[in-house]
Amino acid sequence: MKKIVLIILAASFVFSASAQKIDRSKRPTPAAAPEIKLGKTESFTLPNGLKVFVVENHKLPKVSYSLSLDMDPISEGDMAGYIDAAGQLMERGTTNRTKEQLDKEIDFIGATLTSYSTGVYASSLKKHQDKLLTLMTDVLLNADFKQEELDKIKKQTISGIASSKDSPDAIAANARQALVYGKNHPYGEIATEETVEAITLEKCKEYYTTYFKPNVAYLAVVGDVTVEEVKPLVEKYFAAWEKGDVPINKYRTPVAPKETKVAFVHKEGAVQSVINITYPLSLKPGSPDAIKARLMNSILGGGSTARLFMNLREGHGYTYGAYSSLNSDKLVGNFNANAKVRNEVTDSSITQFMVELNRMIDEKVSEEDLQNVKNYITGTFAYSLQDPQTIARFALNIAKYNLPADYYNNYLKNVAAVTVDDIQAMAKKYIKPDNAIILVVGDKAEADKLKGFAASTEVDFYDTYGNDYVEPLKPAPAGVTATTVLDKALESKYGMVPGKKLSKTLKKIKDVTVKMSATIQGQSISVTRYSKAPNKSAMTMNMGPMVIQKQTFNGTTGKTSGMQGSKDLEGDDLEDMKKTSKMFGDLDYKNDGNTYELLGVEMIEGKDAYKIKVTKANGDKSSEWYGVDSGMQLKAMQVKDVGEEAGGSMTITSLYSDYKVVNGINYAHKIKQSFGPQTLDMEVTSIEHNTKLGDDVFEQ
Amino acid sequence: MKKLLLVAAMGLGVFSTQAQSNKIEFEQYKLKNGLNVILHEDHSTPIVAVTVLYHVGSKDENPERTGFAHFFEHLLFEGSENIGRGEYMKLVQSNGGILNANTSFDRTFYFEILPSNQLELGLWLESERMLHAKIDEKGVETQREVVKEEYRQRYENTPYGSFLPTMFEKAFEKHPYQWVPIGSLDHLNAAKIDEFRDFYKKFYIPNNATLSIAGDFDKKQLKKWIDKYFSGIPKGAPIERNKIVEPAKTKEIRAVVEDNVQLPAVMMGYHTPAQDTKDAYAVAMVAQILSQGNSSRMQKSIVDEQQKALAVGAFPFPTEDPGMALMFGITNMGVAIEDLEEAINKEVEKIQNELISEEEFQKLKNQIENDMYSQNSKIEGIAENLANYFVYYGDANLINTEIKRYMEVTREDIMNAAKKYFTKENRVVLHYVPKKADTPKQPDLQEEKK
Repeated sequence: MKKIVLIILAASFVFSASAQKIDRSKRPTPAAAPEIKLGKTESFTLPNGLKVFVVENHKLPKVSYSLSLDMDPISEGDMAGYIDAAGQLMERGTTNRTKEQLDKEIDFIGATLTSYSTGVYASSLKKHQDKLLTLMTDVLLNADFKQEELDKIKKQTISGIASSKDSPDAIAANARQALVYGKNHPYGEIATEETVEAITLEKCKEYYTTYFKPNVAYLAVVGDVTVEEVKPLVEKYFAAWEKGDVPINKYRTPVAPKETKVAFVHKEGAVQSVINITYPLSLKPGSPDAIKARLMNSILGGGSTARLFMNLREGHGYTYGAYSSLNSDKLVGNFNANAKVRNEVTDSSITQFMVELNRMIDEKVSEEDLQNVKNYITGTFAYSLQDPQTIARFALNIAKYNLPADYYNNYLKNVAAVTVDDIQAMAKKYIKPDNAIILVVGDKAEADKLKGFAASTEVDFYDTYGNDYVEPLKPAPAGVTATTVLDKALESKYGMVPGKKLSKTLKKIKDVTVKMSATIQGQSISVTRYSKAPNKSAMTMNMGPMVIQKQTFNGTTGKTSGMQGSKDLEGDDLEDMKKTSKMFGDLDYKNDGNTYELLGVEMIEGKDAYKIKVTKANGDKSSEWYGVDSGMQLKAMQVKDVGEEAGGSMTITSLYSDYKVVNGINYAHKIKQSFGPQTLDMEVTSIEHNTKLGDDVFEQ
Repeated sequence: MKKLLLVAAMGLGVFSTQAQSNKIEFEQYKLKNGLNVILHEDHSTPIVAVTVLYHVGSKDENPERTGFAHFFEHLLFEGSENIGRGEYMKLVQSNGGILNANTSFDRTFYFEILPSNQLELGLWLESERMLHAKIDEKGVETQREVVKEEYRQRYENTPYGSFLPTMFEKAFEKHPYQWVPIGSLDHLNAAKIDEFRDFYKKFYIPNNATLSIAGDFDKKQLKKWIDKYFSGIPKGAPIERNKIVEPAKTKEIRAVVEDNVQLPAVMMGYHTPAQDTKDAYAVAMVAQILSQGNSSRMQKSIVDEQQKALAVGAFPFPTEDPGMALMFGITNMGVAIEDLEEAINKEVEKIQNELISEEEFQKLKNQIENDMYSQNSKIEGIAENLANYFVYYGDANLINTEIKRYMEVTREDIMNAAKKYFTKENRVVLHYVPKKADTPKQPDLQEEKK
């Protein structure tokens, strides 16, 4: 007691004289911790199943009604974006009010009303709440989906997608989603120009009529109201909403990569690299790990005193901010450590990220660090309570995730109980530097330096939607067309411009035999190709003395035989054979029924090549590349349908090189063919003309 | 008619009693060293917001040393004689608080929100910052790098990110609003340590600061602590502010900016009066007519009906000295930028030529009433508003009464403001266009000849 009096005396002395005498090096100690009380939530359920929470808060004369659906996510497939469109459509006109009327009535009372894919939010001054509920339930129950409004939404969405193409953050968010969850998971689906274009009104309507049901909905009422006031209002406005069955959707759970990979998205003109170190993980809201894992992440990267920030910003000045997040989710959660750094420190920044991730796993945190983060979480918990929406959110989470009723009342007690051993256990379980996707959006000049971070020592490039990246074609110079390219190819092959003289020369060639040696799966084989004027062809493939495959065409019918028996050629295969068996048939490409289109210039095996798209009469497409300098064909590629059990389709690629002139004709002497996972390296050993091949060669 | 009047009167009556019940109470006084103190008590949540507003912004800077005020926003977290480097943030967060700061043309604002039992800590921290912040080479060096990254992130690597710096650079030739708070990286690089120390001595003094505290506290105890930590901080030399007046504009200024964007956008800035003038309220209402809410004219006509824009906006940019009202429109795919600009011009002209309807006028008032309440939903917002109203409008109680200033604006005032300020010669128009393949990396400015 004496002491207290003394302190008061001292304080008053300070008060009256000068404050300069205080010992400023003494840091103030806190008073007793205040009791943190959670506001109360009242709840009731309507006969149609709508669960209602009411949180009273009389500070401001305002009220908000927030309706949200609790449903499984939906896979939108090739119409990705339609659920969002459906949500936006709801507030764009009802059977009672046009969009214009709705907008006018909402604005007139100074209210906010927004519909979205999984709910409707409305707020206004309390004195307008009757009007507010009239408008909100009109949108909720009577939305009339109009094509005209969907068209507007599509146009806006597509423009939005276009404008965000230049935002490194938007690119990183898209690519991250696709890489972490995979495109087959609803969380990994991205709305693109194409998918938005494909959205139909029916699909939007179907979503609205299927999923907007009171039995899967929660209504949170927050503000200057009492439950006695709210109950009759909610009954009046929401009782007519009819319940219905809502589908349950299940998905395969995405898992973290087997080993760390580097994924790079090039952004032209980038002055910073956007770094995300990320992967999916399993952590459910309210699970026993949830609080401990949150504390662990807070120490690592939760804010501006966490390790990542202190290291990358305060220690190295690499960035304006570095953070990490560990998100729990009912289906699949994720970890993400991120920063935007100047180009030239991209690799150094990733090094520091990795140092901090590994340190979390390898070393126990200090008691002091843990206590600090507990204090921080306790303080921000109290801070969040000044917003009455927080209390509503707690009630919603308890219902949605089946948490114990006192989960949030005990939250701080559970925070206080976490130990340094818990933190390390959480780091070992959830921090995975060896199973991460290191995603960088930035200037590709930085990419090479990142190889060392990938287990494969390769950097994988992706486009802005997280698809494998394909180098864009350069435009072909003016004047070059498919015809000039193909004509030049013929001239280079036959040594003269096609015409009478060439026809005369070629007429003298009655047959051609090409012998090749090759290795396939370590075995050496020999391949011989025969052709005879006007249109016979054959091919045999030998392993030692054994014929493993033979294919013949006698001008009208064809057969293929091998280990699995023999088969007559028919349909498209036969038609193909008819065309390709014509001796020197390439000379007549203008009349072969194909269309040829020049796409541009691309690099093939270090050489610039014109890429030509070939479309057959039946619609099949293939590609051919011709050297810009040599004129010769360098590559061919086609996708063949091989049936469902073999994977649907197979890409066959042929690379041609080592051209040599034999009897006046320029033949490729090296052909590298790949189909599916296999490659076949073929080398021409001899080419002979006019060996007087008998017709029996072309029969079997 | 009589009945109508009665209803209107009753409406008014209801309004004023409601306003009364939600009145924000506060106490205000001044320490001998000139520090202004504002206190607002609220015990509903056990937290307290400790804020200090320094009346220094980018407009107070030497034109050869721009970016100082913003740089201090960073630097003043480096520590003090009694707080180690990097410890400031840690002390707040490890005691359950959050903190931040921001800088504008006219002010720098620092705040901590703490559990209420840590109130004294907040006062000690802010007083340390005011009395003897640490300004050394090491701190300057680190924060220079951080500010450079902030610059890249905010202005260079963000589509349309150079909008504000370009707009203000074009709009002002004399007044220091010609540079934005982040200022020039070259100036920061060139500045010597003594220049930073001088800037600190000049502006970060009690007689240029307002300590505004809101939340769960015992007022008697709080006042003792304020005295203990702040009254000993010496008063600084009075600040002389040289009022630079931007000459009236006579000619429209236009420029084309090539940027890393996909969709062209038009940005406009109109010179408007200072925030604490009657006309400023009318100007704000012009912007509100144009773009607040889906039924606003630009949203309804340009975005929804004509589908010329992906997004449009018009907003006042309130400043202590005469400043600007800004507008922007991002074109929808395939729309020519000229068409969008024309559509925006038409909406502005309509306000200049036709008195708005009573109904639309009432909508504005209802929206304002809603917004006025909403801005006071959090204690840190209340602390900030009280300080702002006091420093820049001379009356902290405007937090309760500013709505009257809006309600005094007539339909004719709005039309007159539109005619007076939203004219072609009074504006800057920027066209943001996608960068051509071969242009250099930095946003390139080229004057359009008109």
